[in-house]
Amino acid sequence: MDRSRIRNFSIIAHIDHGKSTLADRLLELTGTIPARQMAEQVLDTMDLERERGITIKAAAVRMEWAPRPRPSPEEEGRGKEEGEAARETPLLPSSSSLLPGGEAGGGGATYELNLIDTPGHVDFTYEVSRALAACEGALLVVDASQGIEAQTLANVYMALDLDLTIIPVVNKIDLPSAEPERVAQEMVDVIGFKRDEVLFVSAKEGTGVEALLAAIVQRVPPPSGDPEAPLRALIFDSKYDSYKGVIAYVRVVDGEVRAGRRLRLMQTARTVEPLETGVFRPSFAPTDGLAAGEVGYIATGLKTVRDCRVGDTVTDEARPAPAPLPGYKPAKSMVFAGLYPANSEDYELLRDALEKLHLNDASLNYEPESSVALGPGFRAGFLGLLHMDIVQERLEREYGLDLLATAPSVEYHITLTDGSEVAIASPADMPEPTRIAGIGEPWMNVSIVAPDRHIGNIMELVTGRRGEYTKMDYLEHDPHLKAGERRVLLEYKMPLSEMLVDFYDQLKGRTQGYASMDYSFSHYSPEDLVKVDILVNGVPVDALSMLVHGERAQQQGRALVERLRSLIPRQLFEIPIQAAIGGRIIARESVRALRKNVLAKCYGGDVTRKRKLLEKQKAGKKRMKRVGNVEIPQEAFMSLLRIGK
Amino acid sequence: MKNARHPLSLYIHIPFCTLKCAYCDFNSYAKLEDLIPPFVEALIAEMRLWSPVVQSRPVPTVFFGGGTPSLTPLPELARIMAALRDCFALEPEAEITLEANPGTVNRDYLRGLADLGVNRISFGVQSFDDGELKALDRIHTAADALRCYRWAREAGFQRVNLDLIYGLPFDSPSASRRAAQGERVMMERWQATLEQAIALGPEHLSLYALTVEEGTKLAHDIERGRAPAPDGDLQAAMYEWSGERLARAGYRQYEISNWCRPGEECRHNLVYWRNGQWLGLGPGAHSHLGRKEEGGRGKEGVTYRFADVYSPRQYIERVRETAAAGIDAGGAAPALLASMRQVTFVDPQPAELQMADTAILALRLNEGLSVDAFARRFGRSPDDVYGAVFAEMTALGLLERAGGHPDGCSGERIRLTDRGRYLANEVFVRLLPDQPL
Repeated sequence: MDRSRIRNFSIIAHIDHGKSTLADRLLELTGTIPARQMAEQVLDTMDLERERGITIKAAAVRMEWAPRPRPSPEEEGRGKEEGEAARETPLLPSSSSLLPGGEAGGGGATYELNLIDTPGHVDFTYEVSRALAACEGALLVVDASQGIEAQTLANVYMALDLDLTIIPVVNKIDLPSAEPERVAQEMVDVIGFKRDEVLFVSAKEGTGVEALLAAIVQRVPPPSGDPEAPLRALIFDSKYDSYKGVIAYVRVVDGEVRAGRRLRLMQTARTVEPLETGVFRPSFAPTDGLAAGEVGYIATGLKTVRDCRVGDTVTDEARPAPAPLPGYKPAKSMVFAGLYPANSEDYELLRDALEKLHLNDASLNYEPESSVALGPGFRAGFLGLLHMDIVQERLEREYGLDLLATAPSVEYHITLTDGSEVAIASPADMPEPTRIAGIGEPWMNVSIVAPDRHIGNIMELVTGRRGEYTKMDYLEHDPHLKAGERRVLLEYKMPLSEMLVDFYDQLKGRTQGYASMDYSFSHYSPEDLVKVDILVNGVPVDALSMLVHGERAQQQGRALVERLRSLIPRQLFEIPIQAAIGGRIIARESVRALRKNVLAKCYGGDVTRKRKLLEKQKAGKKRMKRVGNVEIPQEAFMSLLRIGK
Repeated sequence: MKNARHPLSLYIHIPFCTLKCAYCDFNSYAKLEDLIPPFVEALIAEMRLWSPVVQSRPVPTVFFGGGTPSLTPLPELARIMAALRDCFALEPEAEITLEANPGTVNRDYLRGLADLGVNRISFGVQSFDDGELKALDRIHTAADALRCYRWAREAGFQRVNLDLIYGLPFDSPSASRRAAQGERVMMERWQATLEQAIALGPEHLSLYALTVEEGTKLAHDIERGRAPAPDGDLQAAMYEWSGERLARAGYRQYEISNWCRPGEECRHNLVYWRNGQWLGLGPGAHSHLGRKEEGGRGKEGVTYRFADVYSPRQYIERVRETAAAGIDAGGAAPALLASMRQVTFVDPQPAELQMADTAILALRLNEGLSVDAFARRFGRSPDDVYGAVFAEMTALGLLERAGGHPDGCSGERIRLTDRGRYLANEVFVRLLPDQPL
């Protein structure tokens, strides 16, 4: 394909703003997938993605499209049926007038459109940035009834930094609650688009999608890059395939990939002999090679995605490029949690499951850890909270494991009294308080978008969690909007540890669901932190230790022991539950000894039924973890998540 | 199932009630009295079905339970008794118990029962507090109970049991109920009930903690916040007090919930607790039958627990069907039970389960589990099977070992301690076989 006929683009959208539906429509309209084969959200292949309606792993697809010289009769007909038709007319000139002159003007020319789908969640920011880096353009899709959200902005700025051409699209104009004009104006005001750049679409009904394709061809520049230069291809995703090994999803920037040539991954310094190259239709379609500007895949034969990292540069072993493409960053875990099999006999199963997940998810880190309370397990590192959620859910769902996850933690940087530094990801690993000179914890840049009537509630929530206000901007400048209706962008810095537990839920709760949030790592900052240990029946339960801010240690320790008292069932003896800092007890509760557990009556000799009741009790006991001689239910280990903030 | 000379008790279930009580989850039905005549017909037919199978086994006890057996009119009961004597080898001194609701009987009825050979009567008194009785949806008052008791004695009953329920939470579900004051009121009310019972001087007393059973009106009310849940601690305090009080009054506890004058144990219930065999007749009646010769390993062989269909209508129909089709009287237990169409489920009891049941049921009794008797029955010492559990529970003060028993039973016994008695399930769950069978 002539490079001038290639367009590489991504879609930037907030969760639920319709990115996947739009992608589906594009696939359908370009005939990449016949309508009758369309399963909803073709690009989202994991069950979990479909269920949650979000994209976890990026995917790519190649479409071929020949602009028609005139809008088809049904396009015109549809336009008239739509109430928006009149307004659309000036914004959506007929396709032919959109086409670039010259080469494409003849009508029948076919374009190669590569859609690179991006993960739609804040935890996968780096993956998003690499997907964007593989493109020349991006569609910014905003829900006509919701407006711009925090995460949309973060991704737009990322795309602007990468010099991408952005096509603003207002989607879901079919919704009764749609306010396309207002949202278009918001895009103009906040991001600085020209009013007539904005396209109006209903991905669900297909309205305006043809015009959108035309705009992609017209506005997104073809790939630049030097076909004669040594090979440089950007890996924007990778996936493990049990037949082909690790498959690298690449955008060729310079040079070309030829079948049979040995390749090198510049960052990880791995040499690979590719088994196959090809493009996405959207399933793998082998080709002889990939030319500069093209998007496709290389079957590397590598055994784990860890060797084939997103952001790495592929070059030719025999004729290597002098420098890799910019922007490589190894994935860094931000959130950590202990993962234990609820039933300790399942340890091997958990290990195998983590290994398999890891083949496909380079951002998942884990290492064996042993808890006094919970036995052998793993400390796993995640990109963020959603990532952690997804991994846990996949382990339980796809591998049938009954998991016990400890409360999430961040990575602390500890300066010891001897001047050395250690990083710890679990409060249980904290050195003795006397050896600690200082503790640093990660802070995040947090941006929140919400209607201005919720500013007070948001302020209260964030500052209550040690957050610090940075700035505030109104997203809308329309003077006719009522007070309380205008949307604002609030920016804060706050410790990540304060965001781990129900922060997002609280934010949603306090803003009637209107707030959206984005965050990124800011810096490490020394804080007054202390480790609070929990002793159950005199035995320290490492899995319940927590690091909290000194001022709040007392209150948090008390809240946790109270919570535990209500969660630990009464047993055959009294069980003291204590919170301690070092050797000092700061809170104490006790679970009174059980006095009654008896079936009073066994009527008419129905022994079978009595036995069933006992079986039920026995099953209940089995689900608990025995620490010392105390049985602790699994919920207790999650109770750190529930203590009042 | 012909097991000559091996005793076989009989349980007869009368499923009818005037009103379904709030806490009751037994197989009982209100407003079905029209079914009594066809039910009695079916019950007698069922006796005739079983007769050829078990007629050689002596019957030491018969128990009429319900429901409300005392709703059965005397003539119908006379037919049942006649059929009983006709179909089974009732021992001359057999214990024949009938459960009676104080709201359903009068002097003549009680006399009639005695004339029919019923020699033990069990009154569902539950409480001597009218407020509590009302809250329990009982149809009788305290005065009714007192009157009945007197009539029963006049009719010549020398063995009377009173069923009582403690730990009722029926005060308003306000926060104050949890307060010490509320607890004291409930405790005093219970004490008054038990004092009244003691004053009457029955031979036998059954004290049951109110238990919230799934699917009952009480469970529903508690779920909706219309009634408070029973307080286990308060029930434990009531239980403790009752044990001491009854001991002072000369009653001997012989089971977790049962007390009696010396020698007045309910022999029928002892069959259950000693994991003996009985035949249940009537809708929802459970049975435990088997014989040594039949299948299975170990000394005991396989036994079967089974039950008749629960619905009275279905019961009547199925018994008719069986009677019409005939049974496989000569066949092995599974074939025989399969030919009994009124039998709804059959649960074979392998040795492991029988051992667990034997241990669990025996521990309910104050006499406890006889090490020798268990070993004789199963060919294995209980310590061999449950040694670790016994050791753990003994260390926690829930179990103890004793030598000879005052009854004269010889040899070593394992039994619940006083503290263990009210925590019995903690011991029992540990005795269950690992894999649910």
